[in-house]
Amino acid sequence: MKKLIFILSCLAVFSLSSNAQKFITKTGHIKFYSDSPAEKIEANNRQVNAALDAATGDFVFKVLLKSFEFEKALMQEHFNENYIESDKFPIATFLGKVNNIKDVSVAKDGKYDVVVEGKLTIHGVTQQVTEKGSFEVKQGKIAVNAKFNILLSDYNVKIPGAVTNNISKSVEITVDLNLEKFASSVN
Amino acid sequence: MAETEINKNRTMATWLKIVFSLFITGIIAAVLVYVFIYNKPHPDYEKLDAAYTLAAADLYNAFTLNKTVSGNTYNGKVIALTGKLSKVEATDSIMVCVFVFNKGMFGDEGVRCTMLPKYREQARKLQPGSDVKLKGYCTGFNDTDLILEKCSIIKL
Repeated sequence: MKKLIFILSCLAVFSLSSNAQKFITKTGHIKFYSDSPAEKIEANNRQVNAALDAATGDFVFKVLLKSFEFEKALMQEHFNENYIESDKFPIATFLGKVNNIKDVSVAKDGKYDVVVEGKLTIHGVTQQVTEKGSFEVKQGKIAVNAKFNILLSDYNVKIPGAVTNNISKSVEITVDLNLEKFASSVN
Repeated sequence: MAETEINKNRTMATWLKIVFSLFITGIIAAVLVYVFIYNKPHPDYEKLDAAYTLAAADLYNAFTLNKTVSGNTYNGKVIALTGKLSKVEATDSIMVCVFVFNKGMFGDEGVRCTMLPKYREQARKLQPGSDVKLKGYCTGFNDTDLILEKCSIIKL
């Protein structure tokens, strides 16, 4: 049912205008970084799906959690099995809108500050988020960059007492997407 | 009196030996934990046996029919896939062999296999339409594509 709602939401989001200017990537990069007194933990995911409708500002991305790569195998195991429970919650999603999309011209090279607002779902918990980022339009492509923090407790991610000092309560998320124009025969 | 003193010293020496032995054992245990558990290497996906071998189209269809059941079966497993390669995509940091089976709101949809660095050169030379057999670690289905990571080429 959740899947159906998500697919219907995506379909609604990306079929709003017939002359929509859609931009997509399937090789987006998302990094998360935890800096605690005991250790620094970084993980990267380079197969992130993302799509933007530059006409309406609708913006969606989907992240498979098992695709995050850690430097240490043990950290990756703990992340998947104990914290994020990726067998139970295999995917994180964002479904939202670029509030000031009218300020962005995809026809003109330039860098634009944007505000993105929407629903971020991680670990089965959905939170309303508003974050700042930038769109850099260059030769018809859009480089999306954003850096923000999330609280693990907001997504019901529990850190066992024994490793409380090893993992920061707030982790930094870096989003780096290179969106390309999507010429689709399917609308 | 002197004998009591000697016995006391012996007892003390025995205790010191025990404490020293425990200390050394503790240090060895800590080193072993650090080397073999905390710093254990990632699995070598190239060398691991595939838990399942199947056609890329069959695996993709299984996920589109029932993502949850297929996810419980295949996610986190090493899978060997056969099929006709549709294309090879490259970015600055990864190379992806793609089997396309559908077109949807995110463009081509199918199975996307991120290659291990040592197979990138070989993958770059693969022609669309060529029959390949790849092996990789299945991380799941994102509603449009099935993703395999750390892929190697088994057979061309």
